[in-house]
Amino acid sequence: MSRLTKLISLAALLVAPSMATAAEVNVVSWGGAYTESQKLGYGDPYQEMSGVQVNWIDYSGGLSEIKAQVESGAITWDIIDVYARDTIIGCDEGLFVEFDFDNDFPAGVNGMKASDDFFAPMPSKCAVGNILYSWNYAYNTDNVNFAGRYPDSMNDFFDPDTFPGVRSLYSSAMSNLEFALVADGVPASDVYDYMEDNGIDRALDKLSELCTHPKGGCIFWSAGAQPPEQLVSGEALMATGWNGRHFNAIVNEGSPMKMVWDGQILDYEYFVLVKGGPNQDEAMKALQYFTSSEGLAGSAKHIAYAPFRISSLDVIMADEPWFYSEQAGAVEIMPHMPTAPANTENYVLMNPEWYADNNTEINDAWEAWKANL
Amino acid sequence: MTAEIRTSDGELLSIKLKKVERRRRTTAFLLAAPLLFFIVFTYVIPIFQMLGRSIDNVQMNEFLSETHEVMQTWDGSEMPGEDVTSTFYYELKTAVENKYHGKIATRLNYEKGGFTSLIKKTSRKLENFDENGNFLEQFIDVHKKWGDIEYWLAMKRGTDAYHFRKYLTTFDFEQKFDGSIERIEEKKRINVTLWLRTIFVAVGVTFCCFILAYPISHLLSVLPTRYSNLLMICVLLPFWTSLLVRTSSWMVLLQKQGVLNDTLVSLGIVADESRLELMYNMTGTFIAMTQILLPFMVLPLYSVMKTISPSLMRAATSMGATPFHAFRKIYFPLTYPGISAGSILVFVLAIGYYITPALVGGAKGILISNRIAYHMQQSLDWSLATAMATVLLIAVLVVYWLYNKIVGIDNMRLG
Repeated sequence: MSRLTKLISLAALLVAPSMATAAEVNVVSWGGAYTESQKLGYGDPYQEMSGVQVNWIDYSGGLSEIKAQVESGAITWDIIDVYARDTIIGCDEGLFVEFDFDNDFPAGVNGMKASDDFFAPMPSKCAVGNILYSWNYAYNTDNVNFAGRYPDSMNDFFDPDTFPGVRSLYSSAMSNLEFALVADGVPASDVYDYMEDNGIDRALDKLSELCTHPKGGCIFWSAGAQPPEQLVSGEALMATGWNGRHFNAIVNEGSPMKMVWDGQILDYEYFVLVKGGPNQDEAMKALQYFTSSEGLAGSAKHIAYAPFRISSLDVIMADEPWFYSEQAGAVEIMPHMPTAPANTENYVLMNPEWYADNNTEINDAWEAWKANL
Repeated sequence: MTAEIRTSDGELLSIKLKKVERRRRTTAFLLAAPLLFFIVFTYVIPIFQMLGRSIDNVQMNEFLSETHEVMQTWDGSEMPGEDVTSTFYYELKTAVENKYHGKIATRLNYEKGGFTSLIKKTSRKLENFDENGNFLEQFIDVHKKWGDIEYWLAMKRGTDAYHFRKYLTTFDFEQKFDGSIERIEEKKRINVTLWLRTIFVAVGVTFCCFILAYPISHLLSVLPTRYSNLLMICVLLPFWTSLLVRTSSWMVLLQKQGVLNDTLVSLGIVADESRLELMYNMTGTFIAMTQILLPFMVLPLYSVMKTISPSLMRAATSMGATPFHAFRKIYFPLTYPGISAGSILVFVLAIGYYITPALVGGAKGILISNRIAYHMQQSLDWSLATAMATVLLIAVLVVYWLYNKIVGIDNMRLG
C-alpha cells in the first residue's frame, strides 16, 4: 500500500463515524405557526415511529435557493413545501422527482385510492397535496382608528376614506392583484380572465390609488408571522395574510383580531421531493406518511388549514373538537377552515398556471410598481 | 583599471550583494505567497468570473446552437423560413425531453417579456406537431405570438454568445431590433430611480454621520482617559452587536406603537391618533443607517483629533483669535484627514447597504443593492445582477479616484 492510499484510508476511517449517524430527512417549510403544526402533526409522530430524524428548515418561498443548491451541486434539502406555481416551474426545470401517484402514495383510510382521495388533481407530476389555505385580510378590533365601524368586504380594504390607515400587503404580486381586481368590481370567479386582458395594469392602478392615498399607504410583509404582528403593534390598520396565521394569533395568542372572508383567495399548498437530495429514499417514505389520511389530519389539530385528503376530513369530523392547544383548549375546527360554507360565499380560486406561465412579466411589472411608489 | 572589490570567497561584491538582495526578496515573496494565492483564488478570480457573467450568454448559445447557426443566414426582414422553424422545433423537442426548456424560456424571457408563457405553452403542445412541414403555421396555431416577428428576432439576438445589453438595462435603456437605443417605457423604469435614491441615501447618511460624530469625537479626545474610555465603550458597544439585532431594535423603537411614539404620546406632544410615521419611509432609513455607520466616522475622527495638541488652540487665542476663528482656521483644517477617511468609509459602506433599508424603509427603502439581490435570488437573472454590481463597483472606484485627485490618498489617516 502506498503512503497516499494509507493516508486516504486513515482519513476515511476518521470521517466514517460522523457519516454513519442515524438517517435523517430535511424538510423545508414556511416557519412559524405553520411549521409548528406540521412538526407536531406528522413530523414528530413519524420520527417516533421510524427513528428517522426529521429536521425542519424555514424559508420564505420561491425556487431560488433550491436552484442555487442544484447549480452548485451541494443539495441539502429533501422535501419542500411549495406554492402550486413552483411545483409547475420546478417540475418543468427537472428540479423535483416525478411521482407515480397511486403507487407512490397510500390509499385513504376510507379505502379510496390516492388520486381520488385528494380534492383536486395535482398541478404537476411532481406535486403531492398538503393543505388548502386562504389569503384573506384581518384587522385589529382594538385599533382606535376604526371608531366603532368595522370593515366586512374587500371594497372596505381598498377604501381609505372610510377606513383611514396603513395597509399591509404581501411583498410579491401574488394575492394583491386578485384582491385589487375584486375590489375594482371584477367577479371573483373571473379574475384570471381579466388578468389576460390588461388586468395587471388595472390591478396596479387600483393598488396605487390605495397606497398613494393621503389617508391610506402600504407596507409589505414577507413572512407569514408578520401580518398579525403588524396588526397588534398598530403598524397596519388592516393586513392581508394566511388564515392559519390569523387564526393562530386570535386563538393561541388572544389577539383582538377579526378576519374578513369576502373576496378570499382559496389556494392549495404542496410538497415536492428534491431530485438528488441527500436522503431521497428516506424522504420518500417520510412524505408517504406526511400525506396519509392521519398525517394530514394531524396538522389540522394545530392550525386552521384544511387537509388535502377527503378522508382526512372524515378523520377530523369523527373526532371534533379536533383542534387543541394549551392556550385555547379544544376547539371545533371545521367552521374555521377556509373551505367552510360561511367563508366561501365570495372567493377566488387561485390559478397557479397563470402565475407559472407569466411569472417574469408579473414580477417585472410588480417590482417596478413597488419601487416607484 | 579600478580595483574590484571582492568578498572573502572571491566573488565580486556587487554581484554578491545582488544575490543576497534577490534571495531576501524571494523569501519575502514566499512568506507572503500563501496569503496572495488565497486572496487570488478565493476572492479575485471568483469576482471576475462572476463579473464575466454580465456579458456571457454561452449556456443559452449551447442550448439552441443549431437554431443560432441557421439563423445567421436569416436577415430578419421577414418571417423566418422553414429551415429556422424546423431546426428550432427539433431543438426545443430535445430540450423538453431533457427538461431544460424551462431554462430556455427563462433566458429568452430576459430578451423579451412573454417568452416564458410562449415556450411553456408550446412545449406542452409539442407532441401534437406534424413533423412533415409547415412548422411556422403550427407554431402560430399553438400561440399567436409566434406570428410576431419580434419574438424570432429576439431569439436570434438572445442566442448570441456575448452581449452588453445588460448594461443598457442597468440604466433603463433597451436596444431595439433595428439597433437603435431607447429608454424603456415609463411604467417599467425602475433602475435609474434606484441609482439616484442610493446615491442620495449614501451622501445623506455620510453627512448625518459627520454632523453627529464631530462633536462626540472632539469630546472623546479632550476628556480625561477614565471618562473618555467609558464614552468610547458607548460608541463601540453597538459596533459589536449583530447588524440584524440593531436593525430590529430600531424597528421596536420607531414603530407606531413603539417606545418613541409611546413616549411622545404620554408626554402629550403628539396626539394618539396622529402618531409619527418613523418607519417604512426615508426617515427610518436615515435614522437606522446613521446609527449603524456612526462608529466608522467616530473612530478616524477621534484618532486624528487625539493627535492635535491643545496648545495650538491656546496659541491662536492668545494671539487674539476668537474661539470660532481659531476653530475655523486651526482646529478644523487639522481634522481634514479624519473627516475624509471617515466620509469615504461611511459612503462606501452606505452605497452597498440593503438589509437595513429594506427592513426599516419598506418600499421606500429599496436601494440598488436590493435589486442586485433580487436578480441574484428571485428572478435569477445573474447577468443583469452582475452588470449592476459592476456598475456599482466602478462607481465606488470613481469616488475613490476623485477623492485621490482632490484630497490625496496620503492625507487619509485612520489612526
